[in-house]
Amino acid sequence: MSLFTSLSVSASGMSAERTRAQLLVENIANAETTRTPEGGPYRRKDVVFQSDNVGSPFAGILADQMNSGSVGVTVSDVVVDQGEPDKRYLPGHPDAGPDGYVAFPHLNPAEEMVDLMGASNGYQANVAAMTSIKEMLQQSITLLK
Amino acid sequence: MIEQIAQSLGKYMDVLAARQELIASNIANIDTPGYRTMDLDFQQEFQGLLDGEGLPGIPLEVGGLRINNDGNDVNMDRELRLLAENSIRFSAVSSMAQQQIALIKSAIDNLQG
Repeated sequence: MSLFTSLSVSASGMSAERTRAQLLVENIANAETTRTPEGGPYRRKDVVFQSDNVGSPFAGILADQMNSGSVGVTVSDVVVDQGEPDKRYLPGHPDAGPDGYVAFPHLNPAEEMVDLMGASNGYQANVAAMTSIKEMLQQSITLLK
Repeated sequence: MIEQIAQSLGKYMDVLAARQELIASNIANIDTPGYRTMDLDFQQEFQGLLDGEGLPGIPLEVGGLRINNDGNDVNMDRELRLLAENSIRFSAVSSMAQQQIALIKSAIDNLQG
């Protein structure tokens, strides 16, 4: 239970939001990708956030146990969309099937953009929390002067 | 008497720090499905500390907030407001503590002079 633990909590939030933003950007970049190493069109990826205990790197097990109230966040899983790809009739396309349809990723770039704004706001909020914790720590240090 | 004031100020800062930690974890979990906003009963915690009970404080779930479809009820505006309030309070208390220290210092200086 210390301000340094709070720093770790905010850092975990920042890293989780950054991972989320990375995947969203990947989704937007690959919105029209029809070829992947695994075969078939690109598949949308999404993060699963989970609460997680983040003790300060110097805290022992006892301290971690006592910090039961404050929890950080971690990316527990990256889910790959297994739904049917979108089919578009493009007979001239190199990846067109015998019926003339091409499989495109099933994702909506507008949705990804909205999620990206959410991730960016979440990141900013974590930065604000960290800034204010840093100020509090700095003020405690000035007491020593 | 000065010592007592300084001690109370220190305890107040302890409660503020504990609360700041909960606010930080609420903000970190702003998109975690099923997470509920945690806070502590400020008055009770502070009174408990003054009466000689130790930290850690007991985090409580905050009721009455709108729950999203994913079971999360963190309200970003509430957290940012508390964050600002908490750090202003902390800055006020730390400058009060600084004044207490300056008072003791000047008493010592007068003894020497």
